[in-house]
Amino acid sequence: MRKLFNRNRKLYHYIILIFLVISFNFFLPRLLPGNPLVNIMGEDISLLTMEEREAVIERYNLNDSIFKQYTTYLRNLVTLNWGTSYSKKQPISSVLWAAAPWTLLLAFSNLVISTLIGIYLGTKAGLKRRKKEDVYLLSGISFISSMPSFWLGMIFISVFSVNLGWFPIYGGYSMWQNYTGISKVIDVLRHLFLPLSTLVILSISNIFLPMRYALIEVMGEDFVFMAKAKGIPQSIIRYKYIVRNALLPVFTVFMLRVGYIFSGSVVIETVFAYPGLGRIMYDAISTRDYPLIQYSFLLISLMVILSNYITDLLYPLIDPRVVNQHENT
Amino acid sequence: MKTLKNLCKSEEKLGLIGIALLVFFLIVALLAPTIAPFDPYERVGKSFDTPSSIHLLGTNDIGQDIFSEIIYGTRFSLSLALLASFIAIVLGVLIGVISGYFQGVWESFFMRLTDFILIIPFLPLVIIISAYFSGSFKNLALVIGLTAWPSTARIIRSQVMRIRSKDYILNLKAMGGRDSYILKRHILREVLPIIVYRFMMMANSAILIEASLSFLGLGSPTIKSWGTILYYAQVRNAFLTDAWVWWILPPGICISLLSVAFLFSGYYVESRLNPKV
Repeated sequence: MRKLFNRNRKLYHYIILIFLVISFNFFLPRLLPGNPLVNIMGEDISLLTMEEREAVIERYNLNDSIFKQYTTYLRNLVTLNWGTSYSKKQPISSVLWAAAPWTLLLAFSNLVISTLIGIYLGTKAGLKRRKKEDVYLLSGISFISSMPSFWLGMIFISVFSVNLGWFPIYGGYSMWQNYTGISKVIDVLRHLFLPLSTLVILSISNIFLPMRYALIEVMGEDFVFMAKAKGIPQSIIRYKYIVRNALLPVFTVFMLRVGYIFSGSVVIETVFAYPGLGRIMYDAISTRDYPLIQYSFLLISLMVILSNYITDLLYPLIDPRVVNQHENT
Repeated sequence: MKTLKNLCKSEEKLGLIGIALLVFFLIVALLAPTIAPFDPYERVGKSFDTPSSIHLLGTNDIGQDIFSEIIYGTRFSLSLALLASFIAIVLGVLIGVISGYFQGVWESFFMRLTDFILIIPFLPLVIIISAYFSGSFKNLALVIGLTAWPSTARIIRSQVMRIRSKDYILNLKAMGGRDSYILKRHILREVLPIIVYRFMMMANSAILIEASLSFLGLGSPTIKSWGTILYYAQVRNAFLTDAWVWWILPPGICISLLSVAFLFSGYYVESRLNPKV
């Protein structure tokens, strides 16, 4: 019973967060300085005729009270009636639905791969504390993580696509070919490779640093000393005692970083002209198409909140103490 | 003594490299007008020129000297990183101390707020806010500073909570020490190393965020920053030609070096901070 309540409490927490993000999205353009009409519609407003302008005011009920506008906004949001993008001349919802799977593909494969590599390298460095290997790994990965993501992407395109011709220069699939079945999968993977490697390389430090840190802390604990004193073989101490315990704090960090890792794809998609949400957001920025910026922001935020919720639900599986704690209180 | 030296060796080495790099960039920024061979805002050669003894890194699309652009870019990137991190740290420390020390209603309000900001993906948040402003120096620093404080506030709060329940603070309180005295004299002093460490981390990411924003066209198109140089290189498709070697490579290396300099200096502070590590 208690457990059920706790799970629900988490759910309520996230529902409130989603509601706040949705409201934030509504109030931001209306509270910022400047003409709200420009903030909502974008700078193209001066190009519109009087009638089109009226239509926009009508569409967003800008003459109504703020409360009425808000309820209309919520209704439109839920019914997926998100309006039309002026720069793309298409309904916003269809533009975004077409893009979302690409971002999910990129972000999730990055999340999985960079976490695994990060844990592996972090373990390697942490166990070899103060040896050469540790210093090299630490300084190397710190340096890599300090590179601007878009820059690394540009370099990769120059080297691997333009000069060596190994990979396509842009896009998520070959536009003028009609691949089917297995060759389509290969085509998509070939396009995915460079953006994904760029993201993975830059995301490793998010897991590597906490993993190394956690290992070093666990290695100083009394129970490890005790295990050594008892003469337990080193490999068992390492993997059953140290690494397993160090994984706990890393998972917490992992939860906090999900949003960060999603953010990275916005910039990377722009460089590789990858057809995801980030690319849409960039196009929207360069044409100052505010409704499109807003809804892509909303969709990315919702994806991040959802993945946070999922990791939150997984946490008790990894650390059973969390459940016990709740039951005791 | 020797073991102690070995203990902090790896971080200390990295820390020294970091500080040396910071000093180097600081000198370049201060002496930019003397070091730079040309005025980066003037046309001084033909467009898309290849590197030569006159133009070390060639020229850009409108004939400005790229080497001089990069040197002047140091000024913008360094000062923006410092200002943005300063804003974020002041806010983070203020909110962290208030909610950690006084607790009560403000604490729950601020902690909900940090929860909220932390869960929104950071870069899209900064992008959507800066899309409404012009990308001037002041606006960029404000947008980054005002969105980056929550993680610092969290950390400072937990530290302040730990410190305030220490015996000596309780003793001071029992002897009638006022809050302002305890905060200034003892609590702030104890969290100071963490503040310094957080500042370094903040500056490390502020540089990358500024570069990303400028690259996405949200910076000011007329200001010379490393990000804007790359923005124009991307717009002119420099990465499809040989020009990437002198137009794209150098500004990116500068961004990486400056941001890693802050990171390494941060490691040094951290290794001094936590005796376990």
